[in-house]
Amino acid sequence: MDSLIAVISRKRFRTGWTAFIIVFFLFFVILPTVYILSYAFTNWGSIEQYVLDDPAMLDLILNAISASFQIAAIVTVIDILVGLPMAWMLVRKQFRGKALLDTLIDMPLAVPTAALGFSSAIFFAVTPDALQAPSFALNAVTSPFILIILLHVVFSYPYMVRSLSAILVQIDQTYETAGRTLGASALSAARTITLPLFRAGLVTGIILCFARSLSETGGTMIALATMANSQGFQTGPTIIGMWKPLVETNTDLAAPLAFVSILLILLSLVLLLVIKLVVMKVHLPMGRIWPRPEKLFSRGWFPKTKDGLAVFFLVLFVLIPSFFIFTYVGSVESASFDWGPFTESLLFSFMVAGVVTVIDIALGVPLAVYIAKNRTGKLSDVLDVLVNVPLIVPTAALGYSLGVFWTGQNIIPTYDVLLIILAHVAFTYPLVVRNVAGAVEEVDPAFEETARTLGAKPVQAFRRVLYPIIKSSILAGAIMAFTRSLGETGATQAVVASAQTAPVYIVNLINLKTPSGYYTAGLACIVLIIVSFVFMLALRYITNRRSR
Amino acid sequence: MPDVKLVGLRKSYGDIKAADGLDLEVKDGEYLCVLGPTGAGKTTLLRMISGLLVPDKGKIFFDGKDFTRMETEERKAALLSQTYALFPQLTVEENIMFGLDIRGADEKLKEQVLISMLDLVRLSGRSEAYPRELSGGMQQRTALARALASGADLLLLDEPLRALDARLRISLRIELRSLVKTLKMTAIHVTHDQDEALVMADRVAVIRDGRILQIGTPKEIWDEPDTPFVANFVGQSNFFTGEVMQSSPYTLLRTPEGTVLKGRSSDLAPGTTAVLGVKIGNTDLSKERKGYLKAKVERIIFEGRNLHVDMMMDNGQRISSKVPSWRKGKIAPGDVVDIYWEESKGTVFPMPPNGLENELKVE
Repeated sequence: MDSLIAVISRKRFRTGWTAFIIVFFLFFVILPTVYILSYAFTNWGSIEQYVLDDPAMLDLILNAISASFQIAAIVTVIDILVGLPMAWMLVRKQFRGKALLDTLIDMPLAVPTAALGFSSAIFFAVTPDALQAPSFALNAVTSPFILIILLHVVFSYPYMVRSLSAILVQIDQTYETAGRTLGASALSAARTITLPLFRAGLVTGIILCFARSLSETGGTMIALATMANSQGFQTGPTIIGMWKPLVETNTDLAAPLAFVSILLILLSLVLLLVIKLVVMKVHLPMGRIWPRPEKLFSRGWFPKTKDGLAVFFLVLFVLIPSFFIFTYVGSVESASFDWGPFTESLLFSFMVAGVVTVIDIALGVPLAVYIAKNRTGKLSDVLDVLVNVPLIVPTAALGYSLGVFWTGQNIIPTYDVLLIILAHVAFTYPLVVRNVAGAVEEVDPAFEETARTLGAKPVQAFRRVLYPIIKSSILAGAIMAFTRSLGETGATQAVVASAQTAPVYIVNLINLKTPSGYYTAGLACIVLIIVSFVFMLALRYITNRRSR
Repeated sequence: MPDVKLVGLRKSYGDIKAADGLDLEVKDGEYLCVLGPTGAGKTTLLRMISGLLVPDKGKIFFDGKDFTRMETEERKAALLSQTYALFPQLTVEENIMFGLDIRGADEKLKEQVLISMLDLVRLSGRSEAYPRELSGGMQQRTALARALASGADLLLLDEPLRALDARLRISLRIELRSLVKTLKMTAIHVTHDQDEALVMADRVAVIRDGRILQIGTPKEIWDEPDTPFVANFVGQSNFFTGEVMQSSPYTLLRTPEGTVLKGRSSDLAPGTTAVLGVKIGNTDLSKERKGYLKAKVERIIFEGRNLHVDMMMDNGQRISSKVPSWRKGKIAPGDVVDIYWEESKGTVFPMPPNGLENELKVE
């Protein structure tokens, strides 16, 4: 043990290890994620032939992509409008049941999007008779566009509320109090003093919601498959999911697939930049004050109505759709259910998520530590920006790009499992890195430095001093990575069409469009929800313990 | 118990030179205070000695051996930082035992050291407590015990008393020094507090802009400053410029107005432009006695033990004086007083090349 510590404490070993971590990140995470962009240079001819010169194809693709972006934009706006009052309530107000409300907000995060898609679609949409939707379902939405917006709001809403409340907690309330002692009404003070300080949280929230909505595949596919008549509606990621299984027999689809992926990757990266620039630079005309109406709105019925509506929205548009699946499975006639294949797919999902999490931790924590400790370095700045790339890029495009990258190279064997694991590592790795880097930055470097002067080697200083302090953040990152991997559909399908993970299995069940298929899918969703929920509780327990 | 020698250390951050040809020698068993204003390069100096920072140029010797690139953990130089950096997840006992644990010391030795350390810093009753449960003074003592117990010979103290309240800070000065002396360690203590440096140090090194200006006993630093900056930074001084008339057995200086001032002997040639510095505590004023100069009292600040008197001379220069409080009532704003000092309290410096104002600037 001592000699091992001595070996890995050598300067040369430490430099080599750091280099290895950075190379891994660039070569196994970043490069495969955006590799497909190179297709535009090497195979422009086929893009012209199969996409640009084929108006029907081009139309289909452009419609799907523009639908994706429209949906993401509308979803983000809705999230801001309804998320802000909710975040405000959770941070600033004291009321009975606040802890309960706080827990309820996070509930949809515990439900894999595949299950969410099924559950929301049964609740909102007009569904086929074979589904036997309960009579108390809303059963109203016939437009696939609106259904997908409603679905995406369900799962992105918690991200927005969380990002906003995280910043709101940090904003010193004395500013607002000072404003009010100077004569501003509650609304004027909040609007002119606190809101402008809000930008950072707003940017995070917008990017998270936008990226999540743009990226979502499994839930979207399931919702479309569940509704009675989806009119051939497609989003960018669902096109990838639809074509990927076909491309092996129909190579004409390779160019369109690459084209969709390239567009999704490029547009999402550009958008990330634009959002950052616009929200940070543009000054909203917040200075003006209307004392009378604002005073009026500051008390009496208006604040109460606003809070009431916020809660009403949460219940009707987020919570009920999330958990409607339970009432559905309870109300519908039970069918015979062959647990075999589902158990198999569930175990496979667990295996993938487990391996992915281990890789993320082993190789993500060192990168996070490197980024956090070399804040002034150029390389670390670049890495810090790059880490966000796989979070922004829609996972279906990421998966397709990664599949093309690895099957095109003869470097590693291209077993399906291996490809799926690599794809899941690519989009979960940043979650661990960002979580841990954030935690390491908050730790006073004096701890480790002092440990060194007391005689600890770098490894010992990390293990004995830094690790115990950041342990809970590592765990939180691990659980996030695990649940994200468990619920992912888009990347899995895009990298290996025939993959049998639990979410993909559910998609296939629903596509059978038989009563027993729907019923089985419902049961599978519930199992998935329960499993994820247990992990979510663990996460809350750990993070709460940390804050104490 | 090493002696430490720094030769020509240089370290810059972009344009800022935190160490600019820094030479320093610390004797075995010495308590050395490095005194300087914020941004003078004090922390950089400590970090280079501890190995947390590698100098751009220059060498560091411990006991004559080149330690410039030696790993931090091999130097046996324990750092006690401003914030103490007590490991939050460990108890007082575990914190103190950290160094020995890392080195794999045997249980018996550990127990002995622990008991003696807890006794030494008077924390025997709190060994199971976590750092956050301790008062500032206790945290400071725990951090000290941890550094002492690590087996280090050299103690590096980075403003160790800064975070404590005034009264505690003063009582801990003597305690800290005697602990270090009892254990026969070498200590390098950086601070911006002149009183702390003067009270605690065997020798004081005054640092500015990454260079050591003067090193000597507290008395030498106080009474025989080498530069106007040292004279002013360690106990504020009044300065008068003029032309040297003679330099032995005492120096005579003629001001532009023709007044002749007296100071200690110097080696300046007659005719050179020079600066005479007198500590404000040594600048006396009187209405009866004849002095070198005359000044008009502008305001008097009561400071408890002393009165701080600000005055303006005929040529528009402002000077200050500190006199005992019992003289309150005998002087009032508006009075014209005579200024004088004992000739041994006036130090004569050559005119600084960048001018007096730049020389005295802090930062």
